[in-house]
Amino acid sequence: MAAKKKEEKTEFVNKQGKRLDGRTTDQVRPIKIQVGVVPRARYSYRMATFSVPDRKNPKPGRRDIEISKVSSEAFERAIFTERFPNTAIDIFVEVLDSNAGTRIAALTCAAVAVADAGIPMRDLISGVAVGKAGGKIIVDMNKFEEDAPDAVDIPMAILPNTEEIVLLQMDGLLSKKEWLEARGKAFEAIKQVYELQKQALLKKYEQPVEAAENGGVVQ
Amino acid sequence: MSSLVSWDFRTDKVLQAIREGKRLDARAFDQYRKINIVKNISENADGSARVKIGETDVIVGVKMITSTPFPDSPDAGTLNVGVELLPIASPTFEAGPPDKESIELARVVDRGIRESKCLDFKEWSIEEGTLCWTAFVDIYALNHDGNLFDAAALASIVSLLETKMPKLEDKKIVKGEYKGKIKLSRKPLLCTFAKIANSVVADPSLPEEKAQSARFSVAVTEDDYLTAFQKGGLGSFTASEIDSAIDIALKNTKEIRKQI
Amino acid sequence: MKKIVVPGELLTAERKRPGEHVFMQNGKLYSDVIGILDDKPGDVSVIALEGRYVPRMDDVIVGVVGSEKATGFMVDLNSFTQSFVSKKDIREQLKPGYIISARVLDVNELKEAELGQIRVFYGGEIISISPVKVPRVIGKNASMLDVLKRGTNSTILVGRNGWIWAKGGNVQLLIKLVEKIEREAHLENLTVKVQDFVANANKSVKPQAFAENPALEERKAVEKLDKELKGMVLNNESDSNGS
Repeated sequence: MAAKKKEEKTEFVNKQGKRLDGRTTDQVRPIKIQVGVVPRARYSYRMATFSVPDRKNPKPGRRDIEISKVSSEAFERAIFTERFPNTAIDIFVEVLDSNAGTRIAALTCAAVAVADAGIPMRDLISGVAVGKAGGKIIVDMNKFEEDAPDAVDIPMAILPNTEEIVLLQMDGLLSKKEWLEARGKAFEAIKQVYELQKQALLKKYEQPVEAAENGGVVQ
Repeated sequence: MSSLVSWDFRTDKVLQAIREGKRLDARAFDQYRKINIVKNISENADGSARVKIGETDVIVGVKMITSTPFPDSPDAGTLNVGVELLPIASPTFEAGPPDKESIELARVVDRGIRESKCLDFKEWSIEEGTLCWTAFVDIYALNHDGNLFDAAALASIVSLLETKMPKLEDKKIVKGEYKGKIKLSRKPLLCTFAKIANSVVADPSLPEEKAQSARFSVAVTEDDYLTAFQKGGLGSFTASEIDSAIDIALKNTKEIRKQI
Repeated sequence: MKKIVVPGELLTAERKRPGEHVFMQNGKLYSDVIGILDDKPGDVSVIALEGRYVPRMDDVIVGVVGSEKATGFMVDLNSFTQSFVSKKDIREQLKPGYIISARVLDVNELKEAELGQIRVFYGGEIISISPVKVPRVIGKNASMLDVLKRGTNSTILVGRNGWIWAKGGNVQLLIKLVEKIEREAHLENLTVKVQDFVANANKSVKPQAFAENPALEERKAVEKLDKELKGMVLNNESDSNGS
């Protein structure tokens, strides 16, 4: 499939407004967030060697270090760090599989983990990678779209209550008008992401099924 | 992660239980915890797996890369095993380059696979002297609850069995296209034992590992060959303890292989 | 059922006093943690459901001895820092890995605890629960703790820091009971539910294969500490987590 696509001129958004994977320009990919997946718990952002198509050197590279920096800066704004004098809060992120929008997925996930750890925060951090491909502004690009000739990638993360932007980067060429459209779409998409983050946090506290009261483990 | 015995509050209890012929989790001395295997957990890897032994949790991803053969084996491909003991896996693991614990683990897993001759490296030669395949097996520990060795080795073998060979065009990898899977002529599995007081137990849990005076791992194949030994730790084993461990390994792996 | 809120969730725009884990922004009140909303006429607070232990004076805690230094030992108490205990202040011989009970004598501005009344407990098991849920493990007038003791026959010492030391009886069952309390800390009628669980579980949850019996002095020491709990008014609004 990959080789064939190189020959055709790729239509990133067709006349019905559908993208290559069937989504509309406003739709994010299916998101799954789960807390408590590994028992134990500075923002250290690392990617597994097999998380990307070309094997990545296990040593953190300049890209990893930059992502760690802008992400920890986002957390500095979100966490009430003044309540923890003389203390470091280490947030470790390991990306096991990557397909565009990775730093935002990592940050969104990390925010849920930090809340689950009981660390006081002004707000969750919610984000989306918005961008442009094939002349159209789209949210949550996948790897294909990210490789479009006119691709623009804008990872953005906010504190949802005040809509303060705590992470914002851009790669590509964009007109101011396009930026305003992108910003609008991003804020809308972020609302969906925020709902999913809340659900993931609350899932732990859902009413347990009473039927399993036989001394067995309640899942 | 320190190789010195780090005293755990359970250590005394483990020692006492062992002296009474018992293990804290009521297992028999030669019994494994529950093993859970999930194949192909990564889309970008050429082969991958996640293995849990009890609560010990390990993920492995394999990437097949074209590279230059070693000068002393110009007509063969290579295997490269790496281990990352992630900080989330244990309070004793720190971020940073691989330390001697992760290096030992990587080399033992490598030895078990390589020495079993289950991979025919000559089949991985693309152009003698200039180009060959290298399999990078990268192991990530997600949770350490004892016996990362066996979980890593098992996940590595399962990943290799799932690994697809990338398609080559003009000696360059065509992304996303594959031609069959790599061939393994054997499925070596690693079995690790802990020496605690005067007893030897298979598949040590974390408290048992903390109480152990020494560790012994042996890799065995389905046709009853032994392909790697590794003794670790400051203590020692008697010859007959090693012999029984080998017998137990041969027996246990027959069951474990059924799960692959 | 009580409402559970997440960090940054808007609690009210009314003019109320911000209580525990609540902050004001642009005249409105928000939660800063995941917790149970406690909305009272005069003030709003949130009872945190997760978080590490923040030491308070007079708390009895269960700790684990860490590394030995020249003049003392570091003790891990599930907080943000370890506490240093001077060799001059301890009567018994300590070793890294030992379990101790201690009382928090003082807390400084870095939230480091000064520990005293150190006592060693041997063997047993440490069961961990979120410190904010400890009041549920004890219960009003130690009622829940009684249910746990009678149901398992274990000697149980509940540390305010979320670490519970238990020995003897059916510790495996106790672990399951504490897990249940942790999962359902925010629900009502918990004591009754736990009693039901005990009634049904006693047959299927077997004690660990290796039996341990607490020494008489250990049982007495725990009883003495338990007496304190009977009279105590336990704040359900814990201030664990830096406020």
